[in-house]
Amino acid sequence: MRLFEYQAKELFKQYRLPVPKSVLVNDVDGIRGAFASLTPPVAIKSQVLAGGRGKAGGIALVDDPTEAEREARRIFSLSIGGERPNSLLVEQAYPHDSEMYLSVSLDRGDRAFVAIAASAGGVDVESMAGKVIRRISLDGIDAAFADEVAALLKLPQDQASQFVAILLSLERLAREKECELAEINPLAVGKDGTLMPLDAKIIIDDNALFRHPEFAKLHPEDEFEGEASRQGFAFVRLGGDIAVVGNGAGLVLSTLDLVGDAGGNPACFLDLGGGAQQERIEAALRLVNRLPGVDRILVNIYGGITRTTDVAAGINTVLAEGVVKPIYARVSGAEEDEAQKLLAGTPVKMYKTAPEAVEAVVKGA
Amino acid sequence: MILPKQGESVLVQNMTGRYGRLHTRLMLDYGTNVAAGSAPGKGGQSVEGVPVYNTVAEAVEKTGARASVCFVPAEFTLAAGEEALNAGIKLLVIITEHVPVRDELRLVQLAQSKGASIIGPNCPGIIIPSEKVKLGIMPAASFAPGGVALYSRSGTLTYEIAGQLTGAGFGQSVAVGIGGDPINGTTPVEWMDFVQGMDSTKVVVTVGEIGGDAEERLARHIEKSRYRKPVVAYIAGRHAPKEKKMGHAGAIIYGDYGTADSKIRALSAAGVKVAMTPSQVPALVRQSLG
Repeated sequence: MRLFEYQAKELFKQYRLPVPKSVLVNDVDGIRGAFASLTPPVAIKSQVLAGGRGKAGGIALVDDPTEAEREARRIFSLSIGGERPNSLLVEQAYPHDSEMYLSVSLDRGDRAFVAIAASAGGVDVESMAGKVIRRISLDGIDAAFADEVAALLKLPQDQASQFVAILLSLERLAREKECELAEINPLAVGKDGTLMPLDAKIIIDDNALFRHPEFAKLHPEDEFEGEASRQGFAFVRLGGDIAVVGNGAGLVLSTLDLVGDAGGNPACFLDLGGGAQQERIEAALRLVNRLPGVDRILVNIYGGITRTTDVAAGINTVLAEGVVKPIYARVSGAEEDEAQKLLAGTPVKMYKTAPEAVEAVVKGA
Repeated sequence: MILPKQGESVLVQNMTGRYGRLHTRLMLDYGTNVAAGSAPGKGGQSVEGVPVYNTVAEAVEKTGARASVCFVPAEFTLAAGEEALNAGIKLLVIITEHVPVRDELRLVQLAQSKGASIIGPNCPGIIIPSEKVKLGIMPAASFAPGGVALYSRSGTLTYEIAGQLTGAGFGQSVAVGIGGDPINGTTPVEWMDFVQGMDSTKVVVTVGEIGGDAEERLARHIEKSRYRKPVVAYIAGRHAPKEKKMGHAGAIIYGDYGTADSKIRALSAAGVKVAMTPSQVPALVRQSLG
């Protein structure tokens, strides 16, 4: 789960990491009051989870309240990676000479958490020059570890001591809150040499949320995502007109590829999970049936532990409810002949293979 | 890694749970010698005629098992994994999904210190058709003995591709789901080195998906080590959006990191035949065998 910048900065404050003074506003009306509580220039920053908000015009630097209001109105109307900002962080701008980079993240390939630091920040971590990468023990780091990173970055003494404190706090935050990523980019170096995190990116390990009830209600949930999560489905909205439903993440992912290759636009990714029962199929079909934009439904089931006859029975139940959009189905695996018999004479279009079902659903034939 | 032979005793952890019961029966049906189970406080019970003990240590002592299949819920998987590894289990198959990443890292480190191997978490397990050994939840009907070593980050996609291979006459020397999480107990590189040493393996099929750089690392390894067996790959997620978890915790693209295109490019450059759809896999296997 990725946190909004303002949520990440609240965590920073808890861990005594420095952050610029700021006010969160939820509408244009709040902007003048927020501006007045700060000293110009002031940064107005859209609070979205999508990347590239700066490029998309989601951040503005303003000097007076009229400009602030105008920019706030403009930013609220933006769609950044398909996401509309629900709030703006109005923040004291921080004049600085240079920018650094610092993060604690999971290195999947090395199967370890690592600290990454660079004395020159940048958009792309991969290509950052002179970056320092150090493995972090699951039990944490000590001051000697942080000192070594500061020394490798060749920081002047006054900056080194600030850097050490920031790295120790960031690592403790990442470990205690079970972050997959805790990143400060940029870490600004002020004209007087004071280090200040200007942006904060935090991704919490979803699988560890049971140990962190404090994050439970942090995000406003989409109605459909909420329903899917209660049902235990893996579900992602994709905006097209063909709902894609299947059992198993890899199988659904590969079905999306087939739909995309055939020129279709998936409305969603819905993974029923392994061993799906009849009730789960029914719940999934009801959910995608009322998802806005869905025109037809593609069901791709490879029955193993999931019984294909259960799938067929589930489809029949929702058909009987009389509320279902056209279904194109490939139901294969154990007892598939039996399943096909159950669906014979219904409006469901059945196919032997996934590519055949995909071709038909994309054409809408 | 040491894989069990036909008839060798294996354990099931949390045997008395819903999945433990179901899959104990299905593994026995396949011919696997599930000799004992464990479940705290359930010692003395039995499932499908198999005795259940309170601890893994007791089950190991009674049966001499070296492999265990773990169906313990995510909240308790770390403790269950530690219990198994400390009791002398050398092959720990963790089926459980949603295990926290730091718990997985702790288990990987403990396994390394004990000279043990972990498969998973968040995986369907491993099947060796010629030995009638199935440690996991895959549907037996999709698999047959043969010369293809199949590994995958996804469960149902493994069954789908195994089913197509079997249908085309290509059985499997071994098939494994290494897991859909960011951290795998056994990495693709470790797995590829292992199957290279298996005489019964004539061709390797790797099924990857978006997220991380396991396939890029694998491609470098195939080149650097001058890998000796032909490799066929399929990568799912060419049309996946960025920054969205696609079902598996590990299936996510951050920026340009973890895209299917990057993986396909790296594998192709290393001489791997890459299928664009699962149904192309059998034809590429046939080509590889000449």
